[in-house]
Amino acid sequence: MLPVGFFDRAKAVFGLQKEAHAPGSTPAQPAPSDGRKNKADRPPLPDVSGAASATIEDVLVARTSGSFDEARALLAAIDKGQGLRTVLRAAAALEAHDEEDVTKLLPLVRKDSPAWQLRLQVAASLEPGPERDALVRRAIELGAPPWSIAWLRALSPSDEERRAGLVDLLFEDAGLARTVAARDLGFTDIKVDNDAIRRYAAFAHGRDVIRRFGTTHVVALLARADGRAE
Amino acid sequence: MSRPLLSLYSLDRQKLQDLSSKLRELLARDDRAAISALLGLGEELARRLAAERWAVGLFLRPDEDPLAAPIFASLRRVVKRAALEHLWTSESPALEGRLRAYDVLREEQDIAETIDRLLDSARLPWFLQRPGGTGGWLDDEQRETLSKRMEALGPALPDEINAFVEALSAMDGDALVHDRL
Repeated sequence: MLPVGFFDRAKAVFGLQKEAHAPGSTPAQPAPSDGRKNKADRPPLPDVSGAASATIEDVLVARTSGSFDEARALLAAIDKGQGLRTVLRAAAALEAHDEEDVTKLLPLVRKDSPAWQLRLQVAASLEPGPERDALVRRAIELGAPPWSIAWLRALSPSDEERRAGLVDLLFEDAGLARTVAARDLGFTDIKVDNDAIRRYAAFAHGRDVIRRFGTTHVVALLARADGRAE
Repeated sequence: MSRPLLSLYSLDRQKLQDLSSKLRELLARDDRAAISALLGLGEELARRLAAERWAVGLFLRPDEDPLAAPIFASLRRVVKRAALEHLWTSESPALEGRLRAYDVLREEQDIAETIDRLLDSARLPWFLQRPGGTGGWLDDEQRETLSKRMEALGPALPDEINAFVEALSAMDGDALVHDRL
């Protein structure tokens, strides 16, 4: 039996419909491709009434299972018109070539505040390279504070960069440096700082969600929001 | 355990900045030999530093960590020698409480705000912040303005505050207060 709605999806996630996860089984819906239909030709998004209490985790689980339309419907249900949910909703619309939704949501994405944070969260989800560098440059233009840049550097795959970033962070925001060292860099003798943990959690949550969601369309969305795309 | 006493220091900001920049550069390079030399570490402490994954890891440990505590103490000694001159220590453990809460001072908003800045540890470099400790600094102009404003209130202030004001007025330049250096 294929899961057909949010609650079926939830059952599947908790293993109550084992056949949905049978080895070798085909995902419920295929991943989107460039060949996806335009909105006029597409059926409406699945009915997920009652999903207002869903979470971003539900969205990510739906996407992992290949239920991209269901994930979009969940995002539409839980979107409050600002923040990460709106950004992901717009990125998912872009992914689905739903230009009407993208156009509607883009002004909200542009209003996301602080604007630098989203760029850095996406940058933190990317491998080093021109795309990541461009996002960091844009974040700096938008007023990213030194500690945020130091944090990003402290998460670099390069050992030397990571160390230099951690040193920068120590001098910019020692409490956050301790928290990042303990949480992200495996220093077991360092204690997280209670004052810094909220900032850490907000930034790291966004970074981790974007990484799981997939960065491609979030990057493309930001390029459009910043007027750097078609 | 007795309550710590607030001390007043003359602060050479440029020298503090120079020392801070030097330490930052050495930590970024992970040059442990140079860090040991800068802090004047003995053989045993230098060996501990050399055994760390990165030198910066040791400086991120808690102040009371048995490995890090003597290194923090060395760092603070070097800072004091380079950038601070001890001028005065209060005889009264009640001074901090008086400065933070005495109603005559609190009723004067500009005085209260400047005192709060002087006692705000978050404005100090990380290596001068100590858990549960009090510290902060004012530049020369703020210090002078504060001491004059408080002098004018002298008759209405308790002795421990007036002694502090006298020390603050007698010094030149930027001021730093701390109770655990």
